[in-house]
Amino acid sequence: MRNAAAAACGLVLLCGVAAGCGTGQREAAAEAAAEDFLGALDRGDAAAACASLSPETAEELTASEGEACEEALGAQGLTGGPVGEVAVWGDRAQVRTDADVLFLAELDDGWKVVAAGCAPQGEKPYRCEVGG
Amino acid sequence: MRRFLRDNGLSLVFGLLCLGALVGQAFAGQADFNNRQLADAGRQVTLLEYVASSDFAVDVAENWQSEYLQFFLYVFATVWLVQRGSPESKLVDKVGHESDEDQKLGRYATERSPKWARVGGWRTAVFSKSLGLVMGALFFLSWLAQSISGRSAYNAGQLAQFQDPVSWLGYVGSADFWNRTLQNWQSEFLAMGSIVVLSVYLRQRGSPESKPVGAPHDATQESG
Repeated sequence: MRNAAAAACGLVLLCGVAAGCGTGQREAAAEAAAEDFLGALDRGDAAAACASLSPETAEELTASEGEACEEALGAQGLTGGPVGEVAVWGDRAQVRTDADVLFLAELDDGWKVVAAGCAPQGEKPYRCEVGG
Repeated sequence: MRRFLRDNGLSLVFGLLCLGALVGQAFAGQADFNNRQLADAGRQVTLLEYVASSDFAVDVAENWQSEYLQFFLYVFATVWLVQRGSPESKLVDKVGHESDEDQKLGRYATERSPKWARVGGWRTAVFSKSLGLVMGALFFLSWLAQSISGRSAYNAGQLAQFQDPVSWLGYVGSADFWNRTLQNWQSEFLAMGSIVVLSVYLRQRGSPESKPVGAPHDATQESG
């Protein structure tokens, strides 16, 4: 009985610790993906920026603007800049820059931008120029 | 071996049932999680990834904390509260901590009494409350694990919906945390209240959770 209680206690703690920690490496990977996207915007390299978008976001952008991703993204007037605060939870991340908020998701081929040009709306979800 | 299985059947069967249910929960939870991932344009996860996720951890911990709370409260409450006619209750005139003689403490301890019941002092004081204290500690640890893993799962959902993540304190004050907590608590309290009351009037032949079949309804603290 004592062993069972100890095992139960250990398992609960492990669950909690596993859930709360271990995000350091993933934070770095999400940050790198955001830097790729922002760097491409800084260089005016729309093709590279589009490659950093998730397939669904790129498709949505193409469909809503009625033109190729590269042209459609260029028309959004997004700005790059250095990465600020990064928050990673599960397979999702939020990255802040001086002028923008990005949302990313970890897909099979790594972290991708699912929304960019996002502005807060109080309690409601962010309104995003791309994605969202 | 056969004798070991017979002597420990109750703990072994419930241990296996727990493991079996956890495995079932893992498969069902993974399928449910992956369905939600499709809606949120996320990637599909393997069973191992799901079992290591905060989604699985919070679903496990929220149930564990309520089970340990149930026994923690019940162990302490039944010292002071009684229910006439229920085999789950002690006799109505035994309310409180009872005498050393009743509890086989001090000079009433026998040779077979546990050492910490015989020695007196702080060790006997701690041992006298050890069941409730351990249940209470397991409850608080499970609840803490629920709050940590729950915050992680909640924040992943927040980000998927393009909303800001919350702090641990923010999560502990959130509707999600208390909805998960209270929906488990109410079911535990209902179950305990039901067994206390129903066992006054109903019987299960051979079960220690029941009075003997022929025992009167107002007989308390008998089992059969």
